[in-house]
Amino acid sequence: MRKITLVFLLIITLSGFSFAERVLQIWAMGEEAKNLNVMVEKFMRENPGVKVEVQAIPWSAAYDKLLTGIAGMQLPDLAQMGTTWMAPFGAMGVFEELSDYIKNSFVNKDLFFEGSWQTVEMNGGIYGIPWYVDVRVMFYRTDVLKDVGYDHAPQTWEELYDAAKKLAARGENMYALSLLYTGVFGNEFMPFAWQAGGKIFDEKGKVRVTDPEFVEAIEYYARFFWEELAPIGGGNLFQDFASGAVPIFFSGPWMVSMIDQQTPEIKGKWSVALMPKKQTRTSFVGGCNWVIFNTSKNKDLAWKFIEFMTKPENQLEWYKTVSSLPAVKSVWEYPELSNNPVMKVFGEQLKDAKSPPNIPEWEEIANAISRRVEEVIYKRKTPQKAAEDLEKDIEKIVR
Amino acid sequence: MVRTKFQWIVVFIGPALILLMLFLIIPIFASLYLSFTDFNVFAMTDWSRARFVGFRNFVELFKDDLFWKALFNTFYCLIVAMPTTVVLSLLAAVLLNRERTLFKNFFKVSFFLPFVTNTVAIAVVWSWLLNPTYGLLNWFLSLFGIKGPNWLGDPRWAMPSIIMLVVWKAVGYNTILFLAGLQNIPDFLYEAAKLDGATPWQRFWYITLPMLKPTTVFVTTMMIIGYLQLFEEPYMLTQGGPLNSTLSIVLYLYRQGFRFFKLGYASSIAVILFLMIASLTLLRLKLAGRD
Repeated sequence: MRKITLVFLLIITLSGFSFAERVLQIWAMGEEAKNLNVMVEKFMRENPGVKVEVQAIPWSAAYDKLLTGIAGMQLPDLAQMGTTWMAPFGAMGVFEELSDYIKNSFVNKDLFFEGSWQTVEMNGGIYGIPWYVDVRVMFYRTDVLKDVGYDHAPQTWEELYDAAKKLAARGENMYALSLLYTGVFGNEFMPFAWQAGGKIFDEKGKVRVTDPEFVEAIEYYARFFWEELAPIGGGNLFQDFASGAVPIFFSGPWMVSMIDQQTPEIKGKWSVALMPKKQTRTSFVGGCNWVIFNTSKNKDLAWKFIEFMTKPENQLEWYKTVSSLPAVKSVWEYPELSNNPVMKVFGEQLKDAKSPPNIPEWEEIANAISRRVEEVIYKRKTPQKAAEDLEKDIEKIVR
Repeated sequence: MVRTKFQWIVVFIGPALILLMLFLIIPIFASLYLSFTDFNVFAMTDWSRARFVGFRNFVELFKDDLFWKALFNTFYCLIVAMPTTVVLSLLAAVLLNRERTLFKNFFKVSFFLPFVTNTVAIAVVWSWLLNPTYGLLNWFLSLFGIKGPNWLGDPRWAMPSIIMLVVWKAVGYNTILFLAGLQNIPDFLYEAAKLDGATPWQRFWYITLPMLKPTTVFVTTMMIIGYLQLFEEPYMLTQGGPLNSTLSIVLYLYRQGFRFFKLGYASSIAVILFLMIASLTLLRLKLAGRD
């Protein structure tokens, strides 16, 4: 009996020792979470006595998990935060303002792409640090485009439309490009509006969606559906891309490795290109930031981890691990990126990329945009009428 | 004596009562209160920022065309799906109840499987079945020379597709209920009717149906409650589109509450839905009690 008590005591004391080290809790999502241990182990080697616990959350459950976490104030020290989620969760007042940390650190605004930094600024404060970015570019089948007389990617709106016409003329169930037509596709539609020179708000905060530029973008987008150049209720993106039925789509860097994995048979037959030009070639920039929750008791440690992840060599290592695009500009000069033709396009596109307005109402506005553009796609409204309705919707949302 | 009894009542009912209060009763009253406030994203962590606004949410709701659209869609689903489910599951139950039917257990399990399968998995499979170009359903139709519609991409066909799915999912459960009802009907009624020369159809109409009434009342009541809360199927398959043709009330509520964080507004939708379900259920029970 006494022996058992002794063993128990020993176990309790030993576990007491292991609890003495500081624990940093991180919430991460998707593929990032699965691979983050590579960086975490390195961080723990550099910082003895620190234990990092990563909780992996699937993207599909992340939103609800954050929401319930905030409502119940059960939050980790820091978390990966999608750029479009910064505003709604930021408005709930749970993110730590980081200006004071930045003052004494090598981490600052100039390290990052402008479009990416916009996503951490809210109401004059800084509520996050960019981790990685994603930017949408055009993916296209070089061989299929060549068959219809394009030895290069469509460069302008006119070329894209012309190529689309020729591609769809190949026969029944043949289309040119894949675009979203239902659900919430505000982030997919906005690049077209930006390319045309349109905007949602001007500097004074007035709604500007009835400007001719914005209306033109709606019409251009919807025309691909009217003339059956883009499929409605289509099949699988990868299969259609591999078969050539839908040889153009717009997406982000994660698609590069996914195409190689899912459809290795078309290796070498596809490429990426910049967005088509109207007035500009603007694309959508997203990605993820790091945020520290103001409930955290380890804010200094959390900041240390953010600094660690921002260091160029670690940004590069992370790029090599999951090939997500580094948010730190200088990393793009490493040969791993600058010698890679695909990455070069992404790097070029990042210089002309915007993020949607960083306001908590964005989700609702994106919904309204989708609803009105959808009404034009299904020919229930003219582009002009839809834009007028959209103006009323947005004014009601932000009022 | 009375005292000890009371103590035991507390011991046995207490835990269940506490859970019920915590997760059902209190939230119901909380959402009733919320529906009179403008609780939004800024109030999530600081509740004091939510202001009392009286009936403003309800006034706005009645002016909201998407709410009416969602209301219409939900009743569309209920009115088509309820009779279809009743007829199909009664048919299946009668067939399963015949003595001559082979592989009874196999069929019972097959009918019941959709009910216990995860809706997410079902939605993935159905989105493939309904695919306009490669889908099994349109391939089947093409055998008869029919060009199938673009099921989920056409605003006219999206809701019928959703209804197909929910009916398919609900039939198994209701079949089991009807089967239990059928097995409770005493054999001597049928024997007596047979001796009196009643045809099979007459036996079904004058014995089976009236004797099944308690089951029918239960089944239809549960369906009113269930179908009015249509959510998972459109959420997974169409997200309410195209053109909001599959937007249900609960989906709209979810969007307002958990995507836009307008919990006050969402609560007012919940209150309306609650009133509708309660009054329709009471109406159904009253109709059943009258005759």
